[in-house]
Amino acid sequence: MSHQTNDQSQAGKSTVLGWFDERYPVSSTWNKHVGEYYAPRNFNFWYFFGSLALIVLVNQIVTGIWLTMSYSPTGAGAFNSVEYIMRDVEWGWLLRYLHSTGASAFFIVIYLHMMRGLLYGSYKKPRELVWIIGMLLFLVLMGEAFMGYLLPWGQMSFWGAQVIISLFGAIPVIGPDLALWIRGDFVISEVTLTRFFALHVIALPLLLVILVFMHLVALHHVGSNNPDGVEIKKLKDNNGIPLDGIRFHPYYAVKDAMGAVFFFILFALVLFYAPEGGGFFIEAPNFEPANPLKTPEHIVPVWYFTPFYAILRAVPDKFLGVVAMGAAIAVLFAMPWLDRCKVKSIRYRGNSFKVLLTILVISFIVLGFLGTQPSTPLYTKLAQIFTALYFMFFLVLPFTSANEKTKPVPERVT
Amino acid sequence: MTNMKKILWLMSLLILPFTSHLQAAGGYNITLESADNNLRDQESLKRGAILFSNYCMACHSVKYMRYNRIARDLGWTDEEVISEMAYGLNTVTEDVMTRMLPGVALDVLGSEAPDLSLMARLKGDDYIYTFLRAYQQDEEGVWNNSVLKGTSMPNVLEGIERHATPEEYAQAARDITNFLAYAGEPSKLQRLDLGWKVIAFLLVLLLLTYLLKREYWRDIKH
Repeated sequence: MSHQTNDQSQAGKSTVLGWFDERYPVSSTWNKHVGEYYAPRNFNFWYFFGSLALIVLVNQIVTGIWLTMSYSPTGAGAFNSVEYIMRDVEWGWLLRYLHSTGASAFFIVIYLHMMRGLLYGSYKKPRELVWIIGMLLFLVLMGEAFMGYLLPWGQMSFWGAQVIISLFGAIPVIGPDLALWIRGDFVISEVTLTRFFALHVIALPLLLVILVFMHLVALHHVGSNNPDGVEIKKLKDNNGIPLDGIRFHPYYAVKDAMGAVFFFILFALVLFYAPEGGGFFIEAPNFEPANPLKTPEHIVPVWYFTPFYAILRAVPDKFLGVVAMGAAIAVLFAMPWLDRCKVKSIRYRGNSFKVLLTILVISFIVLGFLGTQPSTPLYTKLAQIFTALYFMFFLVLPFTSANEKTKPVPERVT
Repeated sequence: MTNMKKILWLMSLLILPFTSHLQAAGGYNITLESADNNLRDQESLKRGAILFSNYCMACHSVKYMRYNRIARDLGWTDEEVISEMAYGLNTVTEDVMTRMLPGVALDVLGSEAPDLSLMARLKGDDYIYTFLRAYQQDEEGVWNNSVLKGTSMPNVLEGIERHATPEEYAQAARDITNFLAYAGEPSKLQRLDLGWKVIAFLLVLLLLTYLLKREYWRDIKH
């Protein structure tokens, strides 16, 4: 393809683009990533979530910039400034709801995006790094969301952060000092607020953008997987174009645009008619200013953390609970090596994988529910069972996937 | 595909079914009465604002509201809002603060009266309505509230409860609730009225993007 790209470059021609192409790879970069990026022609519904994640990221950055203009990162001013944005800033309520709804939408989209990877084996050779960079993005996104949630300085902001940061205190030897170092104080205070603000508005978003860039560079280097798990680069025509590949632009550009508009409709429904997300996107106790002397009845993290929170609570020992919670995320990094089956797509994989994946998804959802509930003996028992089932997926998979009864994979995409 | 749809459906369970759950699990030991208030009823909001001024502002504030914002949203002039809500004593750009001097509530009642700007969002409209009407007097004449036991707040609507009809009493509590619901999110009506227009526009855009996609994808053999 590279020779063709050069042919189409305007370098040396007396056009504006030619002037730029001699000095900067405008055409070739566009062609490599968009105009002549050949994607498999059989993308289905699950393939919308990558571009949607990018759109939500842009939404968060743009609305975040405008919120920052009116937000005050001080203990005395934070809560007031959010209400100022909600009431006195022109369209401030819209900016704030776009941002808060966007945070939850981000996780919905990302969880579905990761699900797609699991369904079609998108983490497998040669896409291990696409997956790992994606997992790093997920980690940074969790940090970004966690720190952002402190900023409204409501009761749940304060106590949620208090609970989560105190977890670091459970680490032997260095724990208490580590928690103190993160907070910058003995309790959550304005010191914590200002550093979380700095990390939330510049450090982590910068990291997110860099990682998104790397995620796309890695993806465009190895090429996209597809619902059949067939490598389209294996079969090319005389021009070196994959037989089953179509240009990202215009084909997927227009398809993703359609998907984006459909997503906007669902997003607008929440944004305009249920911005609190039934108490899951904005928790009711957060309408009360942070009060270090008054602990809320139930401290519940925002919904997107609850599966991991449930795993934490399921383990009786606090430190081991922290380890289990960390392991629940860390183990996902190892997916490319835990899954030893050569066949990528679930369409042609054996029943063992289908059963295991179903168990994983159900466990994740049930744990997510349990994490929102106060712990009772029954719920704790259930959380323990589903934590075990969650980890079982990763423990059993290396053995079952090594000699799975797979179906024949077609040569071409279907 | 059916498997996938099932999984997708399950994933959607992550967000949708619990939405009513949190609100139901408020942790109050009594069933809340339905406030049945209507934010679009401006007369009710005006009555609520006046009742709030007369019965609540001796102790409470709605510090995130300014008089002129209330005037604009409720259909009063600047002069009207000051005469109706502030006995002509405040200026329109001031926040709606309590008339009690700082520290008095703590001395007299044993606790500070909370600001009520966000009470409706914190507890819900039904909670406020039920709370206002949940006062009972025991044999020794001591008032208590079945929603919030041991509250320092007296039964401020006692006069209305005694001298008006049950309907008028209920309406007064409903009007105050309505005003506090408005104060909790003054842009709510704007939000509700804008939403369907945005969605209608997006539906048209969806049709256009669908047709565009279909046109381009004619080239691709399936």
